[in-house]
Amino acid sequence: MTYFVIFLGICFMLGVLAVASNPSPYYGVVGLVVASVMGCGWLVSLGVSFVSLALFLVYLGGMLVVFVYSVSLAADPYPEAWGDWRVVGYGLGFVLVVWMGVVLGGLVDFWKVGVVTVDGGGVSFVRLDFSGVAVFYSCGVGLFLVAGWGLLLALFVVLELVRGLSRGAIRAV
Amino acid sequence: MSPLHFSFYSAFTFSSLGLAFHRTHLISALLCLESMMLSMFIPLSIWPVENQTPSFALVPILMLAFSACETGTGLAMLVASARTHGSDHLHNLNLLQC
Repeated sequence: MTYFVIFLGICFMLGVLAVASNPSPYYGVVGLVVASVMGCGWLVSLGVSFVSLALFLVYLGGMLVVFVYSVSLAADPYPEAWGDWRVVGYGLGFVLVVWMGVVLGGLVDFWKVGVVTVDGGGVSFVRLDFSGVAVFYSCGVGLFLVAGWGLLLALFVVLELVRGLSRGAIRAV
Repeated sequence: MSPLHFSFYSAFTFSSLGLAFHRTHLISALLCLESMMLSMFIPLSIWPVENQTPSFALVPILMLAFSACETGTGLAMLVASARTHGSDHLHNLNLLQC
């Protein structure tokens, strides 16, 4: 079980590497989908299934769908593929930077392996993440209202940015 | 460093390097911002599990809400760039010539 979670963590890292060194935004979105699926699997393996499902719904179902059709608006008709030497060079360069950071920081003892799950702390009537997010509605209601207000304001921000014909925030549009 | 901690640390570093070195498209930079947000969401969700503090489980949800705002704003700027210059290539954003 521990090794399965570590495998999911490694695949998460490789998915994010694919996003960072993407040859074209199409492949970047694929890397992001792979990374978020691995991340959700990692969270479910630890037992916090509620935040994992929230991530799936909001992130994959909402934000990535919007990203995919924005990519179709903005990307090339003839994209590069993975075999291009510049893409491989970028990927290897990023891995080298991270590995140098780990080695020079003296952090290379990988023997600390272990996974604490959500049921590790005794008996409780409610699950950890359900009860935690429920605090959002009871004690954290001020933050709830602030977040809702922020989301409403973001809609108006988007409206003002793309209001066309020199009437919005960007006059050249 | 534990392998799982290394995994999200390096995921965050890869995405910030990808944001710094984005090549042709603005949307590649926005995708790297998204993966930075994802690589912060995962440790914020693991924190209440490792420290057994349930009330911290609300922080990743809040972060998801604000990241949705940021995504919408970034995509609105992408649409504005596509309307002005016809594409989202970064060499079109050349008003600041230093």
